[in-house]
Amino acid sequence: MPLDGLGYLKILAPPEKVLRWIEGKLNLLGRLPHYVSIDQKTYGRYGVLPTTSGPSLPGAEASLLLLRRDPRILKAPPYVSLLLILIGLTSLFLLPLDYYSRHTYISENALLPGQVHTYFGGSEQNIFNAYKHEVQAVAGKEQHEISNKLEEIFNSAGLKAARQKYQFEAAGNRYTGENVYSILHAPRGDATEAIVLIAAWTNMDGELNQSGCALVLTLARYFKRWSLWSKDIIILITSDSKAGPQAWADAYHNEHSVPAVEPLPMKSGALQGVVVVDNALNHRFESLHIVYDGINGQLPNLDLFNTATAIASGQMGISVVLQRMWKHGDSYRERLQTMLRGMVSQGLGHASGPHSCFIPYHVDAITLQAVGDGWQDEMAMGRCVESTFRSLNNLLEKFHQSFFFYLLMQANRFVSIGTYLPSAMLVAVNFSIMAIALWIRSGRSTVPTIGSKKKNEEKEPEMEVIRQDGMVAIAPKHRLVIVERELFLPITLVVASHFLGVIPLYIFNHASQSAFSRTFIIFAQANMLLPSFLAALLSYQSPLSTQQRLLLQCFSLLLLGMFLATLATLNFSLAFLIGLLAAPLSFVGQPYSTTSYENPASGGKVRKLLMTIVLQLLSPPAVMLAACKAWDVRVEDVLVEAAFGWTAHGLWTQVVVWCIWWPAWTVGSVVCSPLL
Amino acid sequence: MVLDRRKIGLFGAAAVLRLVLFVAFPSLPKLLAGRVEISTPITSFKRLQEGLFLYTHNVSPYDGGIFHQAPLLLPLFGLIPTAAFAPLTSLLYILLDLLSAEALAQIADSGESRQTRLYKSPRRDLSWDGATVGAAYLFNPLTIAACLGRPTSLFTNCALLYAIAKACERRAFMAMVALGLASYLSLYPALFLPPLIILCFDARYKTGNQVPSVLSFALTHTIAFLGSIACFLLESFLLTGGSWEFISSTYGVHLLLPDLTPNVGLWWYFFIEMFDSFREFFLGVFWLHLGGYVGGLCVRLRTQPLFVITTLLGLCAIFKPYPSISDTALYLSLLPCYRHIFPLMRYTFFALATLLYASLLGPAFYYLWIYAGSGNANFFYAITLVWSLGLSVIVSDSLFAVLRDEWEVERPEMKGKDVRQI
Repeated sequence: MPLDGLGYLKILAPPEKVLRWIEGKLNLLGRLPHYVSIDQKTYGRYGVLPTTSGPSLPGAEASLLLLRRDPRILKAPPYVSLLLILIGLTSLFLLPLDYYSRHTYISENALLPGQVHTYFGGSEQNIFNAYKHEVQAVAGKEQHEISNKLEEIFNSAGLKAARQKYQFEAAGNRYTGENVYSILHAPRGDATEAIVLIAAWTNMDGELNQSGCALVLTLARYFKRWSLWSKDIIILITSDSKAGPQAWADAYHNEHSVPAVEPLPMKSGALQGVVVVDNALNHRFESLHIVYDGINGQLPNLDLFNTATAIASGQMGISVVLQRMWKHGDSYRERLQTMLRGMVSQGLGHASGPHSCFIPYHVDAITLQAVGDGWQDEMAMGRCVESTFRSLNNLLEKFHQSFFFYLLMQANRFVSIGTYLPSAMLVAVNFSIMAIALWIRSGRSTVPTIGSKKKNEEKEPEMEVIRQDGMVAIAPKHRLVIVERELFLPITLVVASHFLGVIPLYIFNHASQSAFSRTFIIFAQANMLLPSFLAALLSYQSPLSTQQRLLLQCFSLLLLGMFLATLATLNFSLAFLIGLLAAPLSFVGQPYSTTSYENPASGGKVRKLLMTIVLQLLSPPAVMLAACKAWDVRVEDVLVEAAFGWTAHGLWTQVVVWCIWWPAWTVGSVVCSPLL
Repeated sequence: MVLDRRKIGLFGAAAVLRLVLFVAFPSLPKLLAGRVEISTPITSFKRLQEGLFLYTHNVSPYDGGIFHQAPLLLPLFGLIPTAAFAPLTSLLYILLDLLSAEALAQIADSGESRQTRLYKSPRRDLSWDGATVGAAYLFNPLTIAACLGRPTSLFTNCALLYAIAKACERRAFMAMVALGLASYLSLYPALFLPPLIILCFDARYKTGNQVPSVLSFALTHTIAFLGSIACFLLESFLLTGGSWEFISSTYGVHLLLPDLTPNVGLWWYFFIEMFDSFREFFLGVFWLHLGGYVGGLCVRLRTQPLFVITTLLGLCAIFKPYPSISDTALYLSLLPCYRHIFPLMRYTFFALATLLYASLLGPAFYYLWIYAGSGNANFFYAITLVWSLGLSVIVSDSLFAVLRDEWEVERPEMKGKDVRQI
C-alpha cells in the first residue's frame, strides 16, 4: 500500500466523539434506511429509488414518469425538427463571416510554395509561339493527324510518346478520341512516383485549348532540360475534357473497360498530383480560375489548391478566382455566393474539368484556367506551372496534411468540415427526430382524449392510479398502454419504394438522347399522379389503420435521415441540398394537435391539400425542371450529362436522387394523399 | 413426416432469393467476400481458397501464414470439383443457411424459450412458430450478406444451432458432438458448454425416467464433448500429414490475435494501439472478460438455459476477438424465439435504429479511410463502437425483459408497472 506511510495524517482526522455527535445531531442513521429501501421479497434485485420521506416532493417521481407521456411533449417534435432545420440553414449562412471561416494556410512544410526562382521565359517564348502555330495548323483536322503532330513534337523534344484510343457510349452517343502522352523520367528518382501535366485539346466549353496545349508542350521540352526532378513527369494531351482524362486515369490504374478503352503502353509510378492547363484565349489574360471539384463531390487536398493560389497570387502576382466568380470584392454577399456555387457544383458531383477524373483515384488534381482580358501572358502561366511542379517535386509523401473536406469562399478563405458539417447533420437529424416521434405515437392507443370535448362531457376517460413508493398520480389509462405495432406492411412498403427507385434510375441511364425529353415529360406527369394512384391502391382492399400510416412515415423518415447523415460524410453539399428539399416530408401526415388520437381522416382536409401542393412543387422532376429553367439549360442536356457521368465517371448523384430522395418523396406524398 | 407447406414456401423463397443474387450479380459474392464486416482473418473465404490451393498442391496449407481455419474444411471443399467450384459452393452455402433455419425452427417449436423445466413464462401464449423464426433468420439482410460473402463462420453457426436444437430435443449426446464440431471450427463455442449441459439436463429431467445425478451428468457430457473434439483433432492431425502445426495457426490465432485486420469488433484497434509489453496482459483480460459472463449468466438464469445461450451469443458477437456480422445475424436469429418478451423490451427501436445507422456509416467510413484516403482508422473504429453499443443495448434490454418476466411471476401485482433498477 503506497499510502501506508501517510498513517501519521490520522492526527488530522476529527476525534471519534465529535463524529458521533454530528451524526446524532443530523440524525444520519435515522435517514439512512429511507434512503435506499431494499425490496426484501426480491432479494435485493430490484430496489426502489429514493424516498425522502419529507413533505417536500409529493409525487415528483411519478409525475416525472407522466411527463414522458405528456401530450405537450408529443407535440414538441415538429417544432424541434423545424428548429433544427432553421439552425442548420442559419449556421450555413453564418459561415462566410470572419468568425467562422479561416484563412487558408500551407500545412505541408515540404511544399515550400513560391520559394524557388522560375526560369521559364526568354527564348521559351519563341518555342511557345512556334508550337502554338503547329497546334493551330492541325486544329479541326482528323484525330490521327493531330496525334501524329503531337507525337512528332514530343519526339523532337527527345521524349518518347505513347497513344491510347478510347470510346465511351452513353445515351446513344459515342465519345471517341485518342490520348497522347509522354513520360519524362526523373533524373533523380526511381520511377515510383509521378506528377502529371495535362492539357485537353478542347476545354470544358468545347473551345480549342490552343495556348494551353502549346504551353504544355513547351513546358515538356523545358522540363526535360532540368536535372532536379525527383518524380517522373507525365505530359498528357487528351482529345477532350471529359472522356479522355477518364479513359487515361482508368487505364493507368487498370480499371478501364476493355476493349472500348485501350490499355496504356507506358506507365510510371503512383500519381502524386495533377495540374491541368486550360488556356483557350488568343490574347493576354487577367486572372487564373482554379477549378477543384471532383466527381461525386470529392475534393483534392486543400494544400494543392493553396500551393497553386500562393504561387499565382503571391509569387506571380496573378489574381486567383474560383467558382466562376470573376469579380470578388471580399464582401459577405460575394463570399456566400462563391460558397453556394461551390456547394451546387459539389452537390451535382459532375466532372468540372479534366482534373475531376483523377480525384476518385485519390490523386489530388486541379485545373488552372486563364480567364479575362488583362496583361498576363502565357509565360506567366507557364512560370506558375513550373513553380507548382517544383513544389510537388518536393513532396515526401502523398498529400495528407491538410483538409480533404472544405468549402472555399474566396481564394484564401475556407471553412473546414468541423464547422460546416453540423448544418447538414442537423437537417438529417430532423428526420430522425420525427421518425422517433412517430414511432412513439404509433405505440399509443387511439382512444379519444381531452381534445374531443363532447365525449369528454359524456364520460371521463378511464383513469389509472399510479402508486409508487407512497406517491400517487392519476393518469388517463390509455396513455399508459403501449399497443402492439403491426410492422410488416409498413416495412415492406418502405423497402419496396426504395427498390422501386431502380426503375427511373435505369430508364434515365439507358434511354437514348433523342428520347430523353419525351421520356422525362411522361415520367414527370406520371410522377404527379403516382401518389394518388398508390394511395388508392393501398386503400382498395381495406384502408390503412392510423398506426400503419404513422409507421409508414416513421420508417420512411428514419431511412431518409440515415441515408442523408451517411451521405453528409461523403458529399456534404448533396446531403444538405436534398435534406432541404425533402424537409417538408417531416411535416406531412397527421396534424400534431391534442386531437391527434382521433381518426385523422376526419379533419385537416385543407392542410392535406396544401401539403400535397407543396410536395408536388418539390418533387424531384419538378425541382429538376425549375433548376434547368433557373440556369437556362435544357433538361435533355442535363440528362445526357448525367447518363455520361454514370457510364464513364461512376457518378452516383442519380442513385441518391432516385433511390433515396424519390422513394421518400413518394411515401410522404402517399401519406398525405387525400385518397388514403 | 408431415411437411409444413408454409415453411417450404418460405424456405424455398429464401433459397431462390439467394440463387438469384448469386446468379444475377456475379460480382456481388466477390465484393462481399472482401468486406471486412463479413470476412475476418479466421473465416475469410478468400483465405480458405488460398489454403485449399496449397492443400491440393500438397503443400501444408498453414505455410505462409494466411490460412487460419480448421483443417477439416479443406477436404470438404476439396471434394468440390474445381470446374464448377463457384456455383457449387454457392449451393453449399445456401444449403447451410437452410439447415441453420431448420435448426432454428426446431428450437422455436420445442417451446424451450417459453417454458422450461423450472420456469413458465406468464406470456407464453405470445409466440412465433418455427417457420416464422426460420424465415426471420433467412430474410435477415445480415444473413443474406453473410451467405453471399461465404465466410466459414456459417459452418460454426450451423453446428452451434444444431447443438442447441438437439439439446432441446433431448438428444444430449448429439448436442455434445455438434458443439464439439462448432468448438473445433471456431474455438469460442466451447464457452457454451455449461449452459448447453444445463439445457440437456433439464431436457432429460422433463422426460422423467431415471434422472441422473447432476455431477455425473455434467461429467459424462463434458467427456463426450471433449471426446468429440479429440476425434476431430486426431482426424485433422492425420489429414495434415501428421503434424500438429495446425493447432498454433488456427487456435493460436483465435487466442493470441496476431492478425489485426479491421473488423466490426473491439479488439483490433486496442491491440494496434497497445504497447507490446502489455499485450499478453490485455489478451488475458479480454478473454477473461468474455469468459466471465458464462458463470454469472448460468447462475442467475439457471431456470432459462436457452436464454443464457442466446445472451452469450450476443456477447460473443460484441466481445469476440474476430467478430463479423454473421455472428450478429446468429444472435438476432435466436431472439425471435423470445417473442413473448418483446413487449417488455424498452429500447428496440433505438437500438435497431443505431444498428441501421452503424451499418450505413460503417462502410462509408471504411471507404473514406481505405479508398478515398480522406478519413482514418478512427472513423471506422468509432462506428464499430456505435455498432457494439447498439448490440449491447439489445443484449441488456432483452436481459432486462427476461428478468422482468421472471419477476412478474413472483410479484404478479407489479404487472404493467414501471420499475427501475438501482
